[in-house]
Amino acid sequence: MAEIARALRLYWVLQRATMRGALQYRLNTVISVVTGAVYQGSGFAFVWVVMHTFPSMGGWSLREIAFLYGLRLTAHALCMLPLSSLIGLEWLVREGELDRVLLRPLNPLVQVMTKRMGMGQVGDLLTGVVLLIVAAPPWNLAMIGFCVPAVVGGALVEASFHLSLSSLSLRMLDTRALRGFLDDVFSKFGSYPMSVFGGVTQWVLTFVLPVAFVAYMPASVLLDKTGSLNVPALVAYGSPLLGVALFALAYRVWERQLRHYQSSGT
Amino acid sequence: MIRPLAGMARVGLRFQLAYRSDVIMTVLALIAQVFLLRMVWTSVYGGAGQARGLTLEALLAYLSLANLQAFATTPIIPLIAHFRIRTGMVFFDLSRPTGYLPQMAAFQAGHTLGGLLMLAPAVPVVLLVGTITPTAQPLGYAATLTLGYVISVMMSLLICVIGFWTLETGAISLLYRLISQFFAGTMVPLSFFPGALGVLAEALPFKYMGYVPAAIYVGHLSGGQVVQAMIVEVSWIAGLAVLLWAVWRRAHRRVVINGG
Amino acid sequence: MIRVESLTKVFRRPRTFPGPLGALRTLVTRRYDERVAVDDVSFEIPEGEVVGYLGPNGAGKSTTVKMLTGILTPTSGLVEVGGRVPWRDRSANARSVGVVFGQRSQLWWDLPLIESLRLVGALYDVPAAHFTGSLRRMCDLLGLDDFLDTPVRQLSLGQRMRGDLAAAMLYDPPILYLDEPTVGLDVLAKQAVREFIVDTNRAGRTTVVLTTHDLADVEALCRRIILIDKGRVLYDGGIDALVTAYAPPRRLVVHLADDETRTFDIAGGASVPELIGRVAAENTIRDLSIEEPDLESVIKQIYAESTR
Ligand SMILES: Nc1ncnc2c1ncn2[C@@H]1O[C@H](COP(=O)(O)OP(=O)(O)OP(=O)(O)O)[C@@H](O)[C@H]1O
Ligand SMILES: [Mg+2]
Repeated sequence: MAEIARALRLYWVLQRATMRGALQYRLNTVISVVTGAVYQGSGFAFVWVVMHTFPSMGGWSLREIAFLYGLRLTAHALCMLPLSSLIGLEWLVREGELDRVLLRPLNPLVQVMTKRMGMGQVGDLLTGVVLLIVAAPPWNLAMIGFCVPAVVGGALVEASFHLSLSSLSLRMLDTRALRGFLDDVFSKFGSYPMSVFGGVTQWVLTFVLPVAFVAYMPASVLLDKTGSLNVPALVAYGSPLLGVALFALAYRVWERQLRHYQSSGT
Repeated sequence: MIRPLAGMARVGLRFQLAYRSDVIMTVLALIAQVFLLRMVWTSVYGGAGQARGLTLEALLAYLSLANLQAFATTPIIPLIAHFRIRTGMVFFDLSRPTGYLPQMAAFQAGHTLGGLLMLAPAVPVVLLVGTITPTAQPLGYAATLTLGYVISVMMSLLICVIGFWTLETGAISLLYRLISQFFAGTMVPLSFFPGALGVLAEALPFKYMGYVPAAIYVGHLSGGQVVQAMIVEVSWIAGLAVLLWAVWRRAHRRVVINGG
Repeated sequence: MIRVESLTKVFRRPRTFPGPLGALRTLVTRRYDERVAVDDVSFEIPEGEVVGYLGPNGAGKSTTVKMLTGILTPTSGLVEVGGRVPWRDRSANARSVGVVFGQRSQLWWDLPLIESLRLVGALYDVPAAHFTGSLRRMCDLLGLDDFLDTPVRQLSLGQRMRGDLAAAMLYDPPILYLDEPTVGLDVLAKQAVREFIVDTNRAGRTTVVLTTHDLADVEALCRRIILIDKGRVLYDGGIDALVTAYAPPRRLVVHLADDETRTFDIAGGASVPELIGRVAAENTIRDLSIEEPDLESVIKQIYAESTR
């Protein structure tokens, strides 16, 4: 327990230091945040334009989809804000930075997480939270009690894919392009009601690549739409747990790969 | 004059091919994107036969085409220029007798060619997903697309030149890519854009890189509209040429001052 | 303090294939490229000793250091540092060793040096009062005061190296690994680094393992060296003993009138005046000198023999 508290404290200390370093490049910071927000905003603008002509998409209204979109985006930002350093893991390995990580008395993943500050993800978070607040149905205590774990669970689902694939680069396998593709699939397909896809696609996005668990199922619960799910309502209520389970698994993969780390030749 | 440019184009081609393992994933992402659009649009159309003058079949064909076009013509030179300005390699480019802008344009052309080569295996899949049939206006399609490509390259060159002032074109070019793809109508045809947004999209030149050629292909635009589009495209090219020339002259003087 | 027995490291990686589907093939292949970097190495280093770990490029020095620090898991053999197996007990081992890689810095690139040192202090749980004292000592020893507030990216190589040494010793580890700490430094900076090493060794009884290609470092700091090539130990012992054992002949270097230079080996027991007389009888000598055998010529000879 004391070890976890120490790791969290040091995470915060190191991440703040990295942030201070990044903030020295002010123009770059601003542009990165804006680009992140515009990128996500343009994705939502598509939905908005389409629904200007067609008021319903898979049985969901514009407002409901905006809420779904916000939920997913917030979860995504929550996943990528701390994990954006994993994007450059190949580089850390090649440059020998990981050697230094292994030389310090602190969990290696915690150290890797603080190597970079994802400014673009701040833009994601802004857009996500704004959508979430603007489009939310009237809140009550029970909803908030479900929403918070739901966002965390969604973030963990995404995080587990990133972490397990990234850890392969500890053995010199470059999975950046594959991760980029999966990230794309999560962002694109996760932001729509699964009823739009139906059939095989919906099945795949639920049981093979659990995109539906990130935001669609929690949003269905919060918007009281569990009746049209392809799984029992109970599963939707328990959806945050999947993230916890998957992440535990992914962390095991990471530790395993770390044991096989071969360093670089320099 | 021609030989160095051909060399630059070859470098651009090789640059594209060097990243082919990444490109496999990008092509997969393209296919996923077209697939997603098809799902979403099919769902919202429901039983409706037509919306904004487009049948669902025509719309799906339009979307596949527009996305293929956008993929193949993605501008790369702002990123290249960014790198070369940062590392000072731009001075080699400037010292060659064939001007800087023609070199960059040649690089982009080679890169696009590489993109087309790489795209070849994906085309049948995308066409299948998007159900495309032969067009009734092949000439109009080819002409507007070619002119649209020229406009796109000129806009990218403009961003490259701006790099001499800002010394930073990486994030700007990403922003440009996002905005241009949105207003090119790669996800929604311009006819669906409501109110002021529609007026804006119609006024901007981005539509010639996606919407206009693709809409001509599926017959959404035809006859006089095609000719009119071509005239406006040529005017844009002329306007951009003047602008580029003026901005370049200032940029060049700036570079000389910096160097001296 | 450090005990190494039959240590071996074989790097094994899946063969990479070219071509667009090469990555996929690499992923599923069962063919491996193997390379033995460290081969059956054994030695012991008692507390407080400064040992030079030498060898030509690619000999396996850095790989050994990485196993001593727990970064790499050995393929076979045993490592014990202060009673611990480093790779099994990495975090605990980390607290008791300081490591400097001359080729790359552990400091935070965009932050002032002082902040990097503070972060290192936090990572190793150095109490605040103790940190202040440690920092003061480092500043005095290494002359850091002038650039404590400069961002690390603006430091010169020599200044950065001093910062790295301070970061490695801030938490008083009993063992210090230095992998090419003087690479690229000018004479004065090298001198500062050497003095620092001597000081920490003397004051705190710190055990030091030093890897370098600069034999002047070795002559200034180490009484014992371990020489390896192709992963195997060639020599382990005192420098003096090495020079006597290999004792390459002294050599007479003669500059002739027509700008030619010739060298003659002086065989053991031979008379030098006699040799000079013989040479002078056949040539017109402009100048002459006698080369005493030194560490460099010894090592050169050993490397040459080992490649043969
Ligand atoms: N991560 C790695 N993967 C594969 N081979 C490696 C790796 N690291 C080192 N090697 C190989 O192992 C051998 C020993 O390398 P090492 O870095 O230990 O040499 P060194 O003695 O430190 O050399 P130098 O003086 O050049 O620093 C070399 O042949 C090198 O190519
Ligand atoms: Mg080395």
